[in-house]
Parts: sequence; C-alpha cells; structure tokens
Amino acid sequence: MYAALLANRYLTSRIIPLIAVAAVALCVALVIIVVSVMTGFLDMLKTSGRTMMGDVVITYPITGIPYYEQLIADLEAMPEADGAAPTIDTFGLLEMPYGNEDGNLIETVQVWGIEPDSFGRVSDFKDILWWQTPSEEVAVTLASDDPRLDTDRDRLDEAMAMRDDWTGEPGIVFGMHVSQFNERRSDGSYGFSPANAWMPGNNVMLTLVPIKGGRLSLEPESRRFTVVNEFQSGVFQIDKNRVLISLADAQEMLRLGKGVLYDRSGALDPETGLPRVIGESPARVTQILVRAAAGVTPNELREAAAATYTAFWERCANDTSLIRKPPDPLRTTIRTWEQQLRDVIAPVEKERELMRILFSIVYIVCAGLVLSIFWAIVHEKTRDIGILRSTGASRPGILGIFLVYGLVIGLLGSLIGALLGWLVVSNINGIHHALGQPAPLWLTLTTFALALVMLLIAITCAIRGSILKWLLGVIACLILSVTGVALLLHQGFLVWDPSVYYFNEIPNSTDWFTALLTMAGAILFSVIGAAIPAARAADTDPIKALRYE
Amino acid sequence: MPDSEAPIIEGVNLRKTYQLGRVRVPVLHGASISIKPREWVAILGASGSGKSTLLHILGGLDRPDTDGGDVMFKGTRVELDRGRTTNEYRNRSIGFVFQFYHLLPELDVLENAVLAKLIPRTGASGLFLLMVVLVGGLLGAGLGAIAAGAGSFEGFGLLPVEEQTDMRSLILALTGMVLGSATLIALVQLAQVLAIKQRSRSSGVATAAKTTLEEFGLGHRLHHRPRELSGGERQRVAIARALGNAPDVLLADEPTGNLDAQTGREILDLLKERHEAGLTIIMVTHDPKVAAYADRIVELEDGCIRT
Repeated sequence: MYAALLANRYLTSRIIPLIAVAAVALCVALVIIVVSVMTGFLDMLKTSGRTMMGDVVITYPITGIPYYEQLIADLEAMPEADGAAPTIDTFGLLEMPYGNEDGNLIETVQVWGIEPDSFGRVSDFKDILWWQTPSEEVAVTLASDDPRLDTDRDRLDEAMAMRDDWTGEPGIVFGMHVSQFNERRSDGSYGFSPANAWMPGNNVMLTLVPIKGGRLSLEPESRRFTVVNEFQSGVFQIDKNRVLISLADAQEMLRLGKGVLYDRSGALDPETGLPRVIGESPARVTQILVRAAAGVTPNELREAAAATYTAFWERCANDTSLIRKPPDPLRTTIRTWEQQLRDVIAPVEKERELMRILFSIVYIVCAGLVLSIFWAIVHEKTRDIGILRSTGASRPGILGIFLVYGLVIGLLGSLIGALLGWLVVSNINGIHHALGQPAPLWLTLTTFALALVMLLIAITCAIRGSILKWLLGVIACLILSVTGVALLLHQGFLVWDPSVYYFNEIPNSTDWFTALLTMAGAILFSVIGAAIPAARAADTDPIKALRYE
Repeated sequence: MPDSEAPIIEGVNLRKTYQLGRVRVPVLHGASISIKPREWVAILGASGSGKSTLLHILGGLDRPDTDGGDVMFKGTRVELDRGRTTNEYRNRSIGFVFQFYHLLPELDVLENAVLAKLIPRTGASGLFLLMVVLVGGLLGAGLGAIAAGAGSFEGFGLLPVEEQTDMRSLILALTGMVLGSATLIALVQLAQVLAIKQRSRSSGVATAAKTTLEEFGLGHRLHHRPRELSGGERQRVAIARALGNAPDVLLADEPTGNLDAQTGREILDLLKERHEAGLTIIMVTHDPKVAAYADRIVELEDGCIRT
C-alpha cells in the first residue's frame, strides 16, 4: 500500500511528473490527430463511391454493353444488390455562357449520361443536388443569406426530369465547381461571383465525339442544354469536372441508342435500293452501377455481380437471335469503387502506414522522457529509498513504486492525449475555419495587454532581486508579444485546399483503432522508461542511500 | 534484569571491511556484543570507529563480510543474505532512529508514523499485483476482441467489417490487454490510496500511531509535513515511526546529534520513558553525557568492543 501512497504523492506534489504527463499527452494527441485525419481521408475516399457511383461498377467503355436492361434486371434480382443503374461515361467539350473578347469559355468535362431515377437508387444523387429547398434540420444550419433558402431557386424536379421547364431544352446538371459563378466560402457555403450570377437557367453547348463501329466518328455531335441544377458530391475532382445529362441524350449523341443494322457486305435491298436491313441494334451503356444491399460488403457484391455478368454473357452468347453480343467477361471490368480508385488510395494507405511507423518514434520519446525524469527523481529520492528499506521495504517494493508511478504517468498522459486528440479531430473544421479568418481584435489586444502585465511583473521581480521570476516574466512577455504581432499580421490562411485533397471538408472522425494502439504503446513505453530508474532505485544500497547528501 | 536471561540480540565476532576505490578499509575486527531484553546499551566511540556500521549490521541494514560473523536475534541466526528475511526482520523486530530524522517529506506526520505498518509483511502483495495484471489483461483482451468484432461479435466494434482481419483483431486484443492491465492497476492503486486515507482516520493502526504522537506532544501536528516541524519534533516523529510496529529493539544512531542540548534531553527523556516501559534500546553516540542515560555503556575502539 505504501507504493500506491508514495506513487500518488510523488505524482501530485511536484511539477516534473506533470510535465511528463503533458509530454506523453501531446505525443499521443499528435499521433491520433495525424493518423485520424489520414484514416478519415482514406475512409472518405473509399466511401465517397456510394455518393456518386454505388458500390460496384461494371464497365465496358467506348462501344458499351448491349441488352443492359436484361443485365440490370439480373443484377437487381441478386440478394446482394439493392439496385442497378445504366450510365454512360465519356468526355466532352463544354461551352460556357461566359468568357472574354475571344468568345465563350470552353472547358473539357467528364460527361455522364444517367437515368435520374435509377441513378438516384444507386447513388446519393437526389441528396447532393444543390438547388433544392433544404429540409428544416438543414435550413437552421445555413447562413441567413444562403441562396438555397429562397424557394424560387428550387430546381429539384427539373434535375430529376433532366429537362428545363421554361425552354423545354434538355437539361444538364453541373458539378458545383464546374461553373466559375460559384464562389466557395471558407465555411463551405457558396456565394455568387458576380452577384446573382447563378448557373441554373443558363444555356451551354456540349460537344461529344461519337464512336461508330469501333472507330472515332469525324462528326462531333453538339447540342444545346439548359443547366437545370448543380450537385456537390464532396469530392472536389468530381465536382470540378463532371456534368450529368440524361442517358437518352447521351446515347443519342454518342450513337449508342437503338438503331437499324445494315448489311455491310454491300448487298442492297431490292425494294428501296438502300443497304439491306439485317436487324435492330440494341441500345448500349458503357457502365452499370450497382448498389450493395444492407450488410453486404463491396467485395461480396463484386463477386456476385461478376457471376451474374458471366451468366448473362453465356445466355446472350448462346442466343442465336441476338445480332450483337455483350463483351466477354474477361474484357469487362467489374470493380468496387475502392478498386477503381486504387491509384489514389494505395499511395495514401502506404503513407498512413509510413506515418504510423515514423510516429512510433513518439513511443521512444515517451520512454526517453519518462526515463530522464525518473532518473532525476530516483536521484533526488535516494534517501527516501534508504528510509523505506530501513523500515522493511523490499527491493521489489521499491521497484513497484517507480513502475506504478511510470504506469500512472503513461495512463494519464494517454487518456489526456486521447481526449485532446479527439477534441481537435472532432473540431478540426472549426479550427481550420478559425485559422482561415483574420484574428479578432479583442484577442490581439488581450494578448498585448497580458504581455504588458508580464513586463510589469518582470520589472517588479528585477527590482526585488529575483532572477528566476524576472527571467520567467521576460520570457512570458516575449512570447505574448510575438503572439500578439503574429495575430495582428494574421489574415487567415488555407491549409486544407480542396483542389489538392479531393474533399471540401477535413475528415473529422477519430481513428479509435490507432488511438487505442497509441495509448497502449505510450503506457508500455512509459513503464519501460520507468523500469531502468526503478531498477536502479531497487538496487540502491540502503546505507549509501541514508548517507546520501 | 536477571543476568541469566537470554540475550534478545547478539552480534557475534562481526567483521566488516569497506572497499573505497582500490583501498580496503577494515571497520570491524571481530566485534561481539550481546544485549538482553529491556536493556539500554550505549555504544560509545570516536568518529569513524565503526559504531554506526555495527548498529546497521545488528539492524539488518548492512551485512558483515563473508564469514564475518553472525547476528543472532532471540537465539536464532538472522539470515542477512536473504532479502525477505531481513526485510521482515527490519519491519517487525527492529525500529531505527537516525541522527538526521530521515522522514519522508511527501508524507505527513501521521503517515510517516504508520509507514512500517503500511509495508506488507508477506509476498502476497506481489501475488495480488500479478493477479490484478492478469485479470485486467484478460478483461482488456476480451474487450479488445469484442471491439475487433472477433468471433460472434462480428460487425460490432471499432473495425469496419472489411478490416476485421485476424492480425488486426490480435493487435486490438493485445492493445486491450495492455490498457486493461494498466487501468486496473491504476484503479487498485487509487483504491489503496483511498483506503490508506480512510485507515489513517479511523483504523486501529492509525489510533495507535495517534496515541503515540499525542504522548510525544505532536497531537496538533498530525497532518503537518516534516518541513513544517522543528528538529525536536521531527525526531519525535522518527521515534514514533520506529515504534510503529511495536518492535523488540530500537536502534538509535546519534539520536540527539543534530539537536540542541535542551531538545536532546527531551528526546532522551522520551526514550527513557519507553525503555522503562520495557523497550530494548541500542544507542550509538560519541557523547558520554548522552551515553550516561543507558544501563550499560560499551566502547568501540579499533573495530572491537571494549566493555
């Protein structure tokens, strides 16, 4: 019991162990914050697929997959799938309604042809459409000048119909960063630049290059669209480059819709004198998105989808009435969203592991800190050790005092560090937002006022002849002055640039697996750090200890 | 006291040599001393004569040279080379009082006085700690396994289903083991600290120590720290601590050496009272006036006892 009592007193009656606790806490918090942000970034990358792509994508680019309606029916019949949607993925040129004296601005964009209903079943399409009346819960979180609060700007129905109500023109939905009108504020909301220049209602010209018989057509297809809405997926690259049009429009422009098949052998129809019609070409799509049912992992869905596609292909291959055949399963890509983004995810995963390894140096820092502090404490407490030994304390008992002491420092440091890490990670976007703003005047003035107070205290201490207090006062005054100047000069800066880090928000969920691992490591290494001084204490000769000055 | 009574403590032909760098300094050359129960013996000698060394060997704090004699307590040889035996001997049978008081500065007066009582007398505390580590480790490992979603806990916990690999589950279980052990140890330590606080208020141990301290005139100083006491008060606390476990023999090393004459006399009077109540005292001093308080004076000269 004396070990507990003394460990408690050594911990609470002096400042050095508290510094050790603070150091361990900062080390633990540092690891938790860095790895949590990286893990959150990875998780966001992995899960963002559900926002725009569902869980699994079956792709056969350019010429597409025919009879996709049957395939979708097969896929939706799988217990692993919650829904499937046909889409077309291609690239195009977009002429914007603004520009300069040389003409309107033309941008290259990724164009997706979608059926809004089916696409909404496999992705969060409906939720990410920007111009819709927000729900009451969302509305209370918006700034009073947020344009979405104006119900006249609701364009949800037009987006779901992919057609402009006024003009009857085919509709197009932009990613939030495609248009230069939308100006993202540091809090994540949007304003207009110039004022009131919002994109819905504007007409744009979209040009696609169709494929014909596996060869590029030399006749680009241009068509006018009216912007009916915008979406924000949260993935900057998607929001910056992607536009959505209706599947029918995309099929038509790319000549992937239903059509007549002519005999290419040169034989003419005797009645019309034109090439002989041999059948009807089916409509095609270049990719099919599949959403997993609840509790099904993307990998499980991928395996089930691959089996379904093979069965579909075999059925079509054996059906002699079909003129076109779906592509061989070996030539078709069936991937989860994570596999689709492998090129991005794999390096980040490697970096995270590297971070974990590099930051394990933190454990050595913990051990080193505790070791040096305990070495000094054992040195200082040599006589106490002699007293305890004279009273009958055993060597393991003395060892126990310092091991428990180290353990408590590790445990307290870990708990405080985990709490600190959790608080920072949870509020990281708020902190980032605050850093993005100029420092408030009251904070700057308070800092300078405190610096002045410290200066006065330092002067008083100098007059009274206390060098330590004078020095501490001067250091505090200097630190506060520099902080004040920094606050005065601070005009806000952006650390998390969405154009670099894909997402608009910094990931703010704590990686508890890493947090617990870090806590356990810090405790273990604190005990290891305490073990060497503790063993030295246990080995101390009681006579020498009692004579120690 | 009858001459025929068996000695309570004996030093038989004790030899001790210190190694100071390359120099061997012999201190005791076969010193023998025998003390009977309820006797107060003063060991008188010049500085450096080996008085304190003799006292430390008799008290089990130091050991004689190999084959350098024995210490007998109540007729039984004290096995000074066995840690547990000497620890128990120092804790139960002997009480030490030092010239420089040697109180623990982090503990208050009452806690210093009950210190000997707080030291466990068996290895049970080590076993208990081991049990705590094991139980905490197992509990933590179990929680870690649950958090990892192992076995029937699949889908529950910290790891997403697709990340529930055996290796990650093992890491999480080991992590839980460390955290569980550490947490339970810390909780047990906290419980012990609270128990000590409780015991220092109301237990029999605390009551006995309080009574002693009140007899020593320290009733109003129970919760003061040593630095807040005068030299005489500190030495009285040190005596109370030495008497905490009701030892058979009190060993006092220059108990008045750091006190003024008046306070020194007060301390000696206090020891005298205890001696009259039946306590055996062996006191080392270089001051004949102090030695005069004893029943018997033995002189240590050139490492040998001269009666």
